[in-house]
Amino acid sequence: MSLQEFQQQIMQAVLAEESPRLPELHGDARADAATRMAIYRNGYRVRLRDSLRTEFAGLGHLMGRRFNAMLESYIEAHPSMHYNIRWHGAGVAAFLGYSRPWQASPELAEMASLDWAISTTFDAANEPVLAAADLIHVPADAWANLRLRPQNHLQILSVQHNVDAFRRAADSNSKRPRLRRHAKVCHLLVWRHSLTVRYRTVNTDELSALTGAIKEESFAALCERLCEFHEPADALPRMASLLHQWLADGLISSWSMQ
Amino acid sequence: MAIKTTSHQLPYLGYGLGLRVEHYESLLEEPGNVEWLEIVSENYMIPGGRPLIWLEKFRERFPLVMHGVSLSIGSTDSLDDDYLARLCALARRVEPAWISDHLCWTGVQGVNLHDLMPLPYTEEALTHVVDRVRRVQDVLGRRILLENVSSYIRFADAQLTEWQFLAAVAERADCLILLDINNIYVSAHNHGFSPLDYLDGIPASRVQQFHLAGHENGEQLLIDTHDAPIIDDVWQLYLEAVRRYGRISTMIERDDHMPPLAELLAELDYARMLAKPLLQAAA
Repeated sequence: MSLQEFQQQIMQAVLAEESPRLPELHGDARADAATRMAIYRNGYRVRLRDSLRTEFAGLGHLMGRRFNAMLESYIEAHPSMHYNIRWHGAGVAAFLGYSRPWQASPELAEMASLDWAISTTFDAANEPVLAAADLIHVPADAWANLRLRPQNHLQILSVQHNVDAFRRAADSNSKRPRLRRHAKVCHLLVWRHSLTVRYRTVNTDELSALTGAIKEESFAALCERLCEFHEPADALPRMASLLHQWLADGLISSWSMQ
Repeated sequence: MAIKTTSHQLPYLGYGLGLRVEHYESLLEEPGNVEWLEIVSENYMIPGGRPLIWLEKFRERFPLVMHGVSLSIGSTDSLDDDYLARLCALARRVEPAWISDHLCWTGVQGVNLHDLMPLPYTEEALTHVVDRVRRVQDVLGRRILLENVSSYIRFADAQLTEWQFLAAVAERADCLILLDINNIYVSAHNHGFSPLDYLDGIPASRVQQFHLAGHENGEQLLIDTHDAPIIDDVWQLYLEAVRRYGRISTMIERDDHMPPLAELLAELDYARMLAKPLLQAAA
């Protein structure tokens, strides 16, 4: 048997739900071959389970006792394909969205998406953070053409349930909150500020302005977007208020003129 | 940081610890007798964020070495170019005294088992590993260290002992060896060989670093958990290793059930105290 065939057999024995007998492996008086192989089979599952538990704190809080069963079915369905064990979690939200019985509870996939967004934002690439003082010297007549560049790592999630409350409760070791379904879709913003991952809800007018900023639209265009939600006279003050918050939150990395 | 040099191929660093998140703050505030740190490479092969900020702080204070778990030098899959590129980038950032990984494979067909799977000790595997070590060393532009792993399975077709295999890889590929003393002890128990035969079979000129760690007593086998204090038998084996190889950079590798830093510093002092008479006698 070639080295390649041997490694494929060993790997399949680790991944399989029931380990096949491999004549290439020997036992002895201390332990038979199956006992020895079981250490690798168990270790694989324990390591992935521990990693997923760490990455999906909110999901664990939301699912309670069902969490372990879900992790086991995910691990059996999805071998890890990345050298960093954390990245095994990349498929959890999709898995919850299509597999039974989890697909019947859409809040689970939403929760997994938030947990995963928090995880990936944690070590996203560092970017500069624009401060209010950096905009002081922008001439008044240049503001209309000003382009704000949000941080590349920020993520916007659409959710129908209060999954952010579960993550908050998990992080603070608080009691499990009551699951609530929002009357309409809500949006969660996930980003990193001063090396700390943050998340909060965004209103529809802020979502529109933020989407425009991500598309590198001008400051004037962002104000026009707000006119869909406010009286024209109120659009500029609202945009000024949003900009103030974005700068305080560290959401903007730079600005440019085009 | 200035590094003490010895007659070994790479610098002698003294006594160190594996850098773990739980000890970040205490290591910077009260590093005690820690002379160097070993980082797990994959933990810092990331785009940005807090871990790299911490890494920079430790880089300013301590000599660092990089220790990987996913090179998969023995796998029959192609070498992972993306992994190697990130490893090179981290090496440029850290400027480590050396880079190590394990003599093992971690998966095939793209799957990662996140375990240090032992190789069958055959001529085919030896040729395969030697070729890959040379290629990795070409990419990194430096020699690497390979560490012996703990193992549980026994191969029917083994043509070499584990130590013959490790020594042959080091000689043929011109790489160095990281000897994990606990892993030798665990595998010797599990497979019924003499740990002293193992030490005797390793060429002293290739040994660059020691790992010391604890393990767990399973029902039938010893399990390499690296999550417990070092036991007396492993300390005795460490002494035998010092007797054979002399002054070797030594570190304690605790991976789980992390105790307060003071507990690991005490173990590090104990390692120093044990080795000192032997090293003085040899000087």
